[in-house]
Amino acid sequence: MPRPQTQSEAVMHHLITRREALKKGFCLSGALALGCAAGWPVRPASRVWAMKKDAAFLIDATGRTPGYSVQELTEKVFDAAGGMGRFVSRGDVVAIKPNVSWARPPALAAGTNPEVLEAVVRLALNAGAKNVRIVDNTIHNAQRCFAITGAGMVAKKTGADLVYPRSSLMREMKLMGRRLDVWPVFVPLIEADKVINVPVAKVHGLCELTLGMKNWIGGVGGRRNALHQDIHQSIVDLARFFKPTVTLIDAIRIMVANGPSGGSEADVAVANRLILSNDPVAADVQAAGLFNIAPASIGYMVLAEKQGLGSLDLNGVNIKEVIL
Amino acid sequence: MKAKHLIWLRRVSQGLFLAFFVFLLIQTRFPDAAYQDYSLVVSGEQDIRLNYPGSFFFQLDPLVWLTSFLSGHVWLQGFFWAVAVLLLTVFLGRFFCGFVCPLGTIHHMAGAIRPSLKGKAMIAANQKRGSQKIKYFLLIAVLVSALLGLNMAGILDPISLLFRSLALAVFPAVGNGIKAACDVIASSDMKPFNLLGYGAEVIISPVFGYGYPAFQTGWLIGALFLVILFLNRIRPRFWCRTLCPLGALFGVFSRFSMLKLEKDAGACTDCQKCTLACQGAASPGPGVAWDSSECLLCFNCFAECPEDAITFRFRWFPGRNKGPDMGRRAVLGGLLAGVSIPFLGRLDGRIYRVSDPRLIRPPGSVEEKNFLRRCQRCGLCMKVCPTNVVQPALGEAGMAGFWTPVLNMTLGYCEYTCTLCGSVCPTRAIVQISGREKVERPIRIGSAYLDRGRCLPWSGNGPCIVCEEHCPTSPKAIYLRPQTQIGQDGVAVTLQLPYVNLKRCVGCGICENKCPVKGRPAIRVMAAGETRSIRNQILLDM
Repeated sequence: MPRPQTQSEAVMHHLITRREALKKGFCLSGALALGCAAGWPVRPASRVWAMKKDAAFLIDATGRTPGYSVQELTEKVFDAAGGMGRFVSRGDVVAIKPNVSWARPPALAAGTNPEVLEAVVRLALNAGAKNVRIVDNTIHNAQRCFAITGAGMVAKKTGADLVYPRSSLMREMKLMGRRLDVWPVFVPLIEADKVINVPVAKVHGLCELTLGMKNWIGGVGGRRNALHQDIHQSIVDLARFFKPTVTLIDAIRIMVANGPSGGSEADVAVANRLILSNDPVAADVQAAGLFNIAPASIGYMVLAEKQGLGSLDLNGVNIKEVIL
Repeated sequence: MKAKHLIWLRRVSQGLFLAFFVFLLIQTRFPDAAYQDYSLVVSGEQDIRLNYPGSFFFQLDPLVWLTSFLSGHVWLQGFFWAVAVLLLTVFLGRFFCGFVCPLGTIHHMAGAIRPSLKGKAMIAANQKRGSQKIKYFLLIAVLVSALLGLNMAGILDPISLLFRSLALAVFPAVGNGIKAACDVIASSDMKPFNLLGYGAEVIISPVFGYGYPAFQTGWLIGALFLVILFLNRIRPRFWCRTLCPLGALFGVFSRFSMLKLEKDAGACTDCQKCTLACQGAASPGPGVAWDSSECLLCFNCFAECPEDAITFRFRWFPGRNKGPDMGRRAVLGGLLAGVSIPFLGRLDGRIYRVSDPRLIRPPGSVEEKNFLRRCQRCGLCMKVCPTNVVQPALGEAGMAGFWTPVLNMTLGYCEYTCTLCGSVCPTRAIVQISGREKVERPIRIGSAYLDRGRCLPWSGNGPCIVCEEHCPTSPKAIYLRPQTQIGQDGVAVTLQLPYVNLKRCVGCGICENKCPVKGRPAIRVMAAGETRSIRNQILLDM
């Protein structure tokens, strides 16, 4: 049993590891200029991760007006948090991690709503992002996933890059997790300046719910189907490694049965909600409320709080509501 | 028209048709444009289809048309092209071999670029010989066999052979090599190399396939292709002269060809330049009758003759050419082979008694007896499949079904709403179905069963719900039931154990494909329960 770490220790430990990893990559390259010319994000590592830790906030947005615009609700939710400019700086390369694991149309709620995705891409571009990338290591065939979930269409409309999962983009990295040590990581998520996690809220056979933290299973490659043997600690290890700038949980449509793949509109409930938070645990806790599931009964949420990723108790979180 | 111009016209035509063939072959894949079409996304109703007529060359091919008609009794869409080609052959002779056939063009190039034979050796090689009768033997065997219910044409048909060889062997082999190189470059710690590797992969994958495409028996398909290419060093266009059943069919129809080679015996100096350049060994030289059934209409003799003793002219009055030199033995042998093969092929009992559990056909496939009547073994369905699950059969479908498509769930899986394979099949061995039909009917291709000794939770080796998680039906065909077991150390653990509900399972195989137990997974799909066969059902109520 390793010595329990305090939250700050855990964060420090983690930051140094990743910074080292990044630095190693960049120093060895010895050809930063070429990289820049090719338009890939080559930036000093320090700017990426040395952001001052903000106080935890959570915005819970609800679309009440019949026929409201999902994109407008998405804009409102970011406005309430102080605008996308708070998360994305001019010239940033932004990686957006939706959940488009399954080749299912948006109505089946198996993937992130393309309207939400589109709004997030546009907000990031308007905030001055140099480049926005939609990144997911899908479960079904990636081409079909990008086509059928609408992610490809969003990329075409907004000019964002669709990054296909390919073995050349998987790099073995030290995750320094309690369960996962070295694992192939989907590199564009690590090399971006800012990472926005945009999962969809669904039920799941093994870990009850798949929300924000579980979405990081789509950020790695390798033997992902073995992670289920210790799913909760694996999720926490990944969530700690990928720690996004901000998490926006898409709960416009949620999958309430037959998750995580669904397949029928009978499995879908319309919740018309969006949850934005810089605390990955708080976002998941709030979203668990949509399913009437106590967060304390979900293994990875409990572990995540214990291991200092965020708080199960939302009392310490600055919560705002947005209603459209 | 001058002979030189005719030669260039032929070369341009050959080049264009070969390029078009390769272009269509490359486009036989999940279409790029699909993910940019909003309407597809919003409705989920419209099925994704190819943007190009991927089966065009099969529609041009009269052998495909004839054998499908004789054996499958299907009158195929777009096959007026094949009828037109046959009609044109009646007027022009084997123009298809000389001007259109992409495999012929490849042989032509292989034989003409740095030829292995020169001078007298080449003249000797280009003499008509008895082995040229083999193609008639093969044609008759294929047609009779088709008539008796086994369509073997695709094994030798040049269009099927070339598509299969390029799509299942040459392109994947080259692609895997390039991909391996890309991976090496991309694994570099140096950013530019890293980028270069990824960039090259992005450009190359759509052409050569994503990841590392795999086709069982691909090595055999590739080796045979190399062998028939090598044969051009023994005699130019060896395949076209000796083996091609489509060429033989055209040979039969060229009997009445109005385009005739005419020899001016007075002008001829017997220099043999015509025979030296002859591609079909069609006796262009003096003293013997020209063989219209062997002539590939390359017009080399016309161009080479220094005395202008050879001309091609249209003769409108009916006059028969020298008939195809089949020989009685080729005809009788062909009949005998054609009668034997279908009956011998059914001796393995797969059609009348019990089918192989591994014989999982693509979704929309017709029942096995009809499948063998229709399938050309061309490989279109294998090339187009986005998950690489469709494979050329080795033993799964018996001798009669060699190289017909079969699904291997350890290499891929059948995507729940994907119906691309049926949309490209040129002979409707796989019927075109809609995604909605596939899901709602449903169209089952088999059913899954658990191997409890291998399954992690069933064998007490830990939690795992991967099969249930991936099961695409709603409600899921794989469901979980918790059970408490006492482990080896005496500690009680509660595990979720998977079960398969056969009424819901469609046999898509994603459970087998994603199972963490590799090689021989703990959950596997067998053909039993497939919609296409009434006999091969498990449950009383389907």
